[in-house]
Amino acid sequence: MKTTGTRSLILVLLTLAFVAGMALFLSEYVTDGGSWAIQPFNKHITQGQSLSGRVLDRNGTVLAYSDETGRIYHDDQTIRLAMLHTVGDTRGYISSSAQYLYRAELSGYNLITGLVSPFGKIKGSDVTLTLDANLCKTAYQALSGKKGAVIVYNYQTGEVLCEVSAPSFDPGAPPADLDTDETGKYDGVYLNNVLSSTYTPGSIFKIVTTAAAIEAIPELDSRTFTCEGSVIINGNQINCTGVHGQIDFKTALAHSCNVAFGELAVELGEDRMTEMANRLGFNSSYSVCGVTTAKSVYQVDSASDDELAWSGIGQFTDLANPMHMAILMSAIANDGVPTMPYFVSNITTSFGLPSGVGHGGKGERMLSTSTAERLQTYLRYNVSSYYGDSMFPAGMEVCAKTGTAEVGEGKAPTGWMVGFSANSATPYAFAIAVEEGSSGIGSAGSVASAVLSALAG
Amino acid sequence: MVPDLEALQNGILYVIRILIPLLSIVVLARAFHSIKAGRRREEPVIVLQNTVTKEIVPVLYWENSLGRSRSCDIVLPDPTASRDHAVLMRRESGWIVTDTGSKAGTRVNGRSIKQPASVSPGDIITLGSTSLMLQRTSEAKLPQKVHRARHAASPFGLLLLVSVIQFFLLLEACFGGGEFSLLPVFPFVALQIMEWGLYAYSMRMLDHVSFELETIGFLLGGTGVLLLSGMRGSLPEGAEAPGMWAIFDSSLSTVYMQLLTMLFGIVVFSVLIWLMGDLDRVMKLRPWIAGAAILLFAVNLVFASATYGAGNWIKIGPISLQPSEFIKIAFVFVGASTLDRLQTKQNLTAFLAFTGVCLVSLFLMRDFGTACIFFVTFLFISFMRSGSIRTIVLAVAAAVFGAFLILQFRPYVLSRFQGWRHVWDYVNESQGYQQVRVLSYGASGGLFGMGIGNGMLGGGRSGNSVFAADSDLVFGMLWEELGLIMAIVVVCAIAMLVFCARSDATRSRSTFYSIAACAAAGSLLFQACLNVFGVVDVLPLTGVTLPFVSAGGSSMVSVWGMLAFIKAGDERTYAARRPKRKRR
Repeated sequence: MKTTGTRSLILVLLTLAFVAGMALFLSEYVTDGGSWAIQPFNKHITQGQSLSGRVLDRNGTVLAYSDETGRIYHDDQTIRLAMLHTVGDTRGYISSSAQYLYRAELSGYNLITGLVSPFGKIKGSDVTLTLDANLCKTAYQALSGKKGAVIVYNYQTGEVLCEVSAPSFDPGAPPADLDTDETGKYDGVYLNNVLSSTYTPGSIFKIVTTAAAIEAIPELDSRTFTCEGSVIINGNQINCTGVHGQIDFKTALAHSCNVAFGELAVELGEDRMTEMANRLGFNSSYSVCGVTTAKSVYQVDSASDDELAWSGIGQFTDLANPMHMAILMSAIANDGVPTMPYFVSNITTSFGLPSGVGHGGKGERMLSTSTAERLQTYLRYNVSSYYGDSMFPAGMEVCAKTGTAEVGEGKAPTGWMVGFSANSATPYAFAIAVEEGSSGIGSAGSVASAVLSALAG
Repeated sequence: MVPDLEALQNGILYVIRILIPLLSIVVLARAFHSIKAGRRREEPVIVLQNTVTKEIVPVLYWENSLGRSRSCDIVLPDPTASRDHAVLMRRESGWIVTDTGSKAGTRVNGRSIKQPASVSPGDIITLGSTSLMLQRTSEAKLPQKVHRARHAASPFGLLLLVSVIQFFLLLEACFGGGEFSLLPVFPFVALQIMEWGLYAYSMRMLDHVSFELETIGFLLGGTGVLLLSGMRGSLPEGAEAPGMWAIFDSSLSTVYMQLLTMLFGIVVFSVLIWLMGDLDRVMKLRPWIAGAAILLFAVNLVFASATYGAGNWIKIGPISLQPSEFIKIAFVFVGASTLDRLQTKQNLTAFLAFTGVCLVSLFLMRDFGTACIFFVTFLFISFMRSGSIRTIVLAVAAAVFGAFLILQFRPYVLSRFQGWRHVWDYVNESQGYQQVRVLSYGASGGLFGMGIGNGMLGGGRSGNSVFAADSDLVFGMLWEELGLIMAIVVVCAIAMLVFCARSDATRSRSTFYSIAACAAAGSLLFQACLNVFGVVDVLPLTGVTLPFVSAGGSSMVSVWGMLAFIKAGDERTYAARRPKRKRR
């Protein structure tokens, strides 16, 4: 009988298989249960309303809700346009939006009660965003019809306050020719430029070159650079924005001297430049509320010296994602460790069960504290000595860098401004990209100015 | 104020749906604890004393192998003894010793034995050159261990709790589905009569001491019946829907059939328990049962009316039977064996041949799901009999080869597996239609469900259910209407039967019971796995029923038969009797 008892252990194999199968099923349920539930054939939903929950901004302003007639968006058309890429459209075509990401919850789904509302009809959860609708409106208006991306977030908490992508369309009254148009006027309307686009960075990339130089060249601040308006590297002429003459490093950065930074990039070399770019988040993506950001690119493998020089001033094949640039600003503002952004603060079921969603949390360290502090000083000097503090509300102590990225193809350059307020009372990091802008300071700078002024109240 | 009242009703029903799984967990936990508590401790039943060395050898089991081999229950350090020399067994009549083909032979009190011989305390058994005297444990002056008293749960209280759970399920079934209905009352009352009837028969008339396994069976079966009573069959043309106060209606015919088969299952359960009481009878019956099973398959193959792609049904008038379900019981019967027979007839040839016939028949009927269950049950039985990993590997290799051949000659079988792990690519095609609906509607139910009769799989009062919702997809119905927790509790209850069977494996009265109990429990759990994992797309969908819960006449009978094997493995079923009340 003893052996019979021992041999019965074969049943343990079956039990293990059972447990493994259950574990697989339950883990799939936890991760995919929402998308299982909200299928179009599910009669629990079709007999009710698919998106029945509300989307609210940080101040409780209702941005979208449903009634018998369908999905209703905010009264103000500009707010509808400005918030499209964060709130979403009714058909769920904008995959970075709350209405797409949380469509299960908005349909009434949660992991505990499924689609059941214990005390009545199925009703969707409310999704509250961290954004401020009026701020987004200001940003959208400041873009004045140009394509681009605006992102502002609190680098202490991670709350995204303003996220605007243009071009946009009105989800409350979608244009009739939205799907049929062939002229290209709606190209990119479904794309959230903040999270899913990359642009040539131009001079804002000099921040990366600066970080590499700080760590590799101890006597950086005592160096002088000579700019005669252009320089020939490897037979290729690199033009500067002006003739800067004999300048020190911080002036070179403030005046965005291409000659100085082109030479620095060559001096630092492919490896150190690549190492710093990777550490600062180039060539990798971030997850923001479940949305994977487009990768910023820094790629100089087997590049010639002139190409390396161009890469150091944000041209060549360099690409930057606006959200990533804002995260980088957050890292500099936070002495090297970024706070990760999020744009959905909470989801509350119709019967009041809250399920927290958004939490910034700290990202991986990007810079040493000392390097971050040096960068703060340089970026602050850019504003105080060159762009002018008068652009921004008093006391914000904005640190920033502009960029005017040449994109070729006969198009006007992309204007950039990235930065943050060093005042801990106004802890905002921002990144603004304006396609076919005049210059960084002229196009993106005016958006930054408008948004930060609106934030100051 | 009407909407508020409705909200209140929904709220109360929701709270009840939270209570149902919690109470079920209590029932299961107490039942399994009680089974553990009721187990005999590993203490000697009787002892053997070596006549030369005076060494005391404890006899721990009802069937004990004696021999030189280290795997024997009583190891004889004697080079003249055979590896598996003899078996010492306790039967109703007393202790019996059987020689299992030893070289040197076995003697009792000096006389060589050819047939099983009974031995009493004081008799000397000689194996090779070792002589052992049978002694009562009281004479051997063994150190007495002091044990903490272990209390079994009150069988009455446990069954009462099941009735309470079923009352809650009744409330769900009556108030669910959007309109009040009294129709579920009849199934509820019928369940109570069966449950308390079997309780009275078993505990009062037969004076059995244990009722845990039956209680688990009733908890699962009752959940199934009351879940199905929230469904309505589609109405015939021109017929009117039953009114609010109707007690009995043809739209509930599935439930009535389920109750009837449950009753039949309980009868089969009781008959099997009685039948297995006498091991000699069982061993003599085995060839007849095997023959009857093969005959039944033959009848099935000849007369089968091909239904639902598998010709595994026999229709007799209005009743359709699935013979393979009954043959499952026969299969376990034929496979299991007592220790003395295991020792003398070590090869599996006869059982292998029987298995082969069963599997071929099932393939001809295209019932691949049941074939899988038979095959896995065969693996359990053959391993427990022989302990040979080689047999298992060969059998699995043969099965893989067979599966390969089938796919070569019948490629359409492969199309059934096309949807596996890709069901979302086949939302409206047959390869994924049922699975995605289970997942979608199940997830809609969340942890505590929509309420009985409010599901879309079962269709509730509307009569529009997804095909096979009440049988193959019943796990989905359970999940959607009573919630994921209850659905998992039900499946875990079946999984825990395996623990019961295993923990009794060395304590049962014979290896026959041990092997049968393990095979039955393993087969039930495997079937549950095929069903549950099939519909949630962890495994391919094979279309087998969920034991105890699914609607499906014959399978309801067979699961109660399987439960009888597990019950028979519990020593208390035959050994212990309640003290007669009239004595004191």
